[in-house]
Amino acid sequence: MSKQSTIVRIDQDFWKNLDYDGQLHLAACLQCARCSSGCTVRDETDILPHQINRMAIMGLADEIKSSKAIWLCVSCQTCFSRCPMKVNIPAMIDRIRAMSEDAPGDLRNVRIFNDVMLASVRRFGRAYELLLMAIYKVKSRDLFSDIARLPTMLIKGKFSLLPPKGPGGRAVSRIFEKARRLRK
Amino acid sequence: MSAQCVAQSLGIELQKMPDWTCCGSTPAHSTDELLAIALPARNLLIAQSAGLDLAVCCASCYGRLGAANIALAQDHRLQESVAEILGQEYKGNVHVRHLLQILYEDVGISEIRDAVTHHLKGLKIACYYGCLLTRPRELSISSDPEDPTIMEEILQTTGAEMIDWPYKTECCGANFSITRPSTVERLVSQILRAAKDSGANCLAVACPLCQINLDLRQQDIQERFNLPVFYFTQVLGLAFGVPRKQLGIGKLMVSPDEVLAGTTTGTPPY
Repeated sequence: MSKQSTIVRIDQDFWKNLDYDGQLHLAACLQCARCSSGCTVRDETDILPHQINRMAIMGLADEIKSSKAIWLCVSCQTCFSRCPMKVNIPAMIDRIRAMSEDAPGDLRNVRIFNDVMLASVRRFGRAYELLLMAIYKVKSRDLFSDIARLPTMLIKGKFSLLPPKGPGGRAVSRIFEKARRLRK
Repeated sequence: MSAQCVAQSLGIELQKMPDWTCCGSTPAHSTDELLAIALPARNLLIAQSAGLDLAVCCASCYGRLGAANIALAQDHRLQESVAEILGQEYKGNVHVRHLLQILYEDVGISEIRDAVTHHLKGLKIACYYGCLLTRPRELSISSDPEDPTIMEEILQTTGAEMIDWPYKTECCGANFSITRPSTVERLVSQILRAAKDSGANCLAVACPLCQINLDLRQQDIQERFNLPVFYFTQVLGLAFGVPRKQLGIGKLMVSPDEVLAGTTTGTPPY
């Protein structure tokens, strides 16, 4: 049996496409790893912030896009705040998320939640917590967690049974549509 | 609700923004850069029309509104795109300010001290800032993003003890509260343990997401921390003698009755 060889696809322009406006300063990275030492999710991630940066420069687009790190990032801005070279790693991660097809394993829940939450904002102008939680639970097939807590949270007024009042979604759904059209 | 009571006590007139809509928070900036600017910019435009600054109570709203302000000031093309989306031009003159800044810079510590009528004796408060009040640097509410003290300076007026502790700007992972409970439980445990080990008997926060995350998730953690998590204006309101009900004290998941037992004796601390 022949051993299967691994072919790594290199996308040389990956980092330039990510930093198309020069705002991310990706090429300025010194690999000092100050970002990684303060990363909130350093204990459970697969690639650390300084490694993501290096891999982006090397053109390892597929490896980065399929990593857990991209979706585990909590957007806490610690890496960016501490970077001596102002490399904007959270903004880089946001751009990679926007171009990724899907998130790996149970991290797909993060993406499902983002989509469901935005759908609520689009429809109601604000988050309608009860409905968005119900839709999230169905889509993520995670039906039972936190359900026992629902009565207490309703009694304590943590969220409302009724949809949010306000301008409604009409003003906001237009923003979504126009933003999508402009992006293309 | 406690923020409104406290603002009123200090003579700040807060106007509720008509027709505000959600800033999109992390789901928006994880999905679409342009949308993540346009959503908060809609609110900036409402404030612009009213000719008012924006007072914000949430760290994430503060971060997104502030990020939109910065991005729109720097990027002319983005400004044009957003004007096209919203049908109105944003001139970039709305200041986005967190309530902590308004109390600290506009009202001032001595005015706040004058409003204190009840000594919050026995409260040992760990002030928690989380991530987005001091990060990124250009949006930091404090000149020292690694060791802000503005909440301590404000809450010290109540006579409560301020705890010096190392986790005040760590992230609590609130945006994973629903999707990754295991991550959140780990982060919340670390923060609460650090507060407890440093001698705190409660926390004060300046973001409703941090509040509910640190408060609600205590039930899921095996270790019993039993640390009430106040929104910082609830603490101020107690010291101003505002009735608990108006401050929403009863809405807290971890009951603060025990730590408040020795307080509110009706006399100011000095």
